[in-house]
Amino acid sequence: MRRDLRGALLLLLTAAVQSSSMSAPGKPVLLSCRSPEKETFTCWWEPGSDGALPTTHHLYYERERLEGTYECPDYLSAGRNSCFFDKNHTSIWVDYYLTVMASNALGNATSDPFKMDVMEIVKPDAPGNVTLWVEEREASPCVHVRWMPPSNTDTKSGWVTIKYELRVKKDNSNNWKEYTSGTQTHFSLYSVSPGGVYTVQVRCLLDHGSWSEWSNTTFVKISNYLQNERPLSMLISILSAILFIMAGLILIAKRKSVKQWVLPPVPGPKIRGINSQLLQSGGSDNVGNALIIKQSFPPIYFVWEDQMEDYLIVTENEDWLSSNSQKRKKSLIPACFHFDSEIHSKESPCHQNDWEKDEEMSQVDNNNKPFTNTGYVDFQRHVENVQEADVKHVDYSRVKEVKGDNVLFLEKEKVQSSGYMDFQRQERIPEDYSRVKEVESDHLVVLQKQNAADMSCKDEGNHYTDCALHKPRKPHVCTELSDSGYVDTIPAPPLM
Amino acid sequence: MALKETDSSKLLMAVVCLVSVCSSVPISDLLDRASQGSDKLHALSTTITQDLNSHFPPIGRMIMPRPSMCHTSSLQTPSDKQQALQVSESDLLSLARSLLQAWSDPLLVLSASANTLHHPEQTSISNKIQELQLHSKSLGDGLDILSGKMGPAAQNISLLPFSGRNDIGQDRISQLINFNFLLSCFRRDSHKIDSFLKVLRCRATKTQPQMC
Repeated sequence: MRRDLRGALLLLLTAAVQSSSMSAPGKPVLLSCRSPEKETFTCWWEPGSDGALPTTHHLYYERERLEGTYECPDYLSAGRNSCFFDKNHTSIWVDYYLTVMASNALGNATSDPFKMDVMEIVKPDAPGNVTLWVEEREASPCVHVRWMPPSNTDTKSGWVTIKYELRVKKDNSNNWKEYTSGTQTHFSLYSVSPGGVYTVQVRCLLDHGSWSEWSNTTFVKISNYLQNERPLSMLISILSAILFIMAGLILIAKRKSVKQWVLPPVPGPKIRGINSQLLQSGGSDNVGNALIIKQSFPPIYFVWEDQMEDYLIVTENEDWLSSNSQKRKKSLIPACFHFDSEIHSKESPCHQNDWEKDEEMSQVDNNNKPFTNTGYVDFQRHVENVQEADVKHVDYSRVKEVKGDNVLFLEKEKVQSSGYMDFQRQERIPEDYSRVKEVESDHLVVLQKQNAADMSCKDEGNHYTDCALHKPRKPHVCTELSDSGYVDTIPAPPLM
Repeated sequence: MALKETDSSKLLMAVVCLVSVCSSVPISDLLDRASQGSDKLHALSTTITQDLNSHFPPIGRMIMPRPSMCHTSSLQTPSDKQQALQVSESDLLSLARSLLQAWSDPLLVLSASANTLHHPEQTSISNKIQELQLHSKSLGDGLDILSGKMGPAAQNISLLPFSGRNDIGQDRISQLINFNFLLSCFRRDSHKIDSFLKVLRCRATKTQPQMC
């Protein structure tokens, strides 16, 4: 019996030994140490295998400038497999050499030595009490963030300097936007839009250490209250748009009158008597007819009442200007027909009264030669000087035939003249022209015969009469009329 | 000659008057600038260490044979917060100045050896060492000005001679080891200087808590 019992026990023991291998513990490994505020620190290790036996761990350390080997002062405060060094056991700027020893019934195991200096293991706790609130401004809302430094850090003595960082995320996206806050414990976010949910986290750093973990997330939802105001502004914008469209339509409908008002028509040059419609209709006959001045033969000098246009006198001679300042604005430039014979006419082509003014001017002209350049002479509205009641147009008539010395046959067709003419004064008036004695009919002009003695170069007379009237004359149009084309300078046919 | 001397002394008087009239820069501002400089100095040394460790296993974690103590370890400095807050301002400044002064020669050695360092990041390291020298010099000048405003104790500078390690090492490994060791000593001292100046800054700006 007893032999059977011993055999059974031996069997059991061998079986037990074979099934679970008990051994000395495995080598523990020191993982890391951390100081949250530069005043204390904690170290953690990883135990090796325990050899299936209850194993205990001990941490031993040596320190620079300190003789001896010491054991961890506190295994409990920081949890399992840790060692907490309180303020009395913490020194900075000195090296610690740590080792952990695991021991059980069968043996010991010692970790590799771990060297550390407190200045290198500083990592603070996360900031706390992160609060957000939304400030709802008119234009755009903004979010204010406020937090507290980690509770165990000393912010009053300057032993540590804390810097903060925060990150913001909108709704459910994974993109965090990071901001640096420096040493302030508050921050404002301005790029927030209504209707979004914003998540904010904060972390901190002590001097040259490592960043803390991110704080707990804090949410804030920005309300959409601003959208309630939108219908009003939309309504206003729609109304103003309608008003604009209506105004535009009205303008388009009345564009002609608007155009009249904005851009008043400028009177353009109009050649009297020219039938512009004939011109436009084309055809050489029409063009020719259009250009021909159709009017009955009038006195030859022209006073036009309704197309008085003022001219500027351009002169280089200031004396002339000053002395004639009053009389600058008057002049009559007669167009004269030259004839060989002097034809008497009761209607003097160059009327005396009007000539008086011209005399003075032309007197001065001759003396001072004011006109070195082309002179536009301006015309006053000499309504009072009109001798002929019904002179309304500047009219030329074409001489069809000259009979004898004093009879002119004019063409029946009325030749329209230009409304004004350009007169050059610098040339001396050619010598010969004749006065029209009478107008017999629409096409017959009787010229006045004049003697050389009669038509002397009197001052009161017309200066256009040259004393040398004995020169053989041909009827020709006064050549002093300029070539500008305003006057119809049709050369008279040679005497037959 | 006599004229020259009177002229120069007059000029000196004028300059001093001008300086005293114009220069009422408050100490808090000077300390703020100084602590920014020391912050930059330490950040630079950290960067160089990271460059150095980038191609090697973390040397700090392994127990490298430590050739000796840092040449500045003989200086008694506070070793925790409590001690540091009990030191007077003048003493704190004196400590900072002494530490900084102690590194003016060794930085030359570091700079010289950086040029021949066998390391992939040698150029970057060499440039940063030069930058380190410049910053160290300007910080030293700033602290000298500060010391004039903080009392006689601030004028004391403890001499910490650098025991001529002019040759960092013959072979590449010992060269790297010695370089790394010297750099780690500098890192520690620059961290000390930075901490002391920041404590001083906070004390000088009692009306501005955000400075702390």
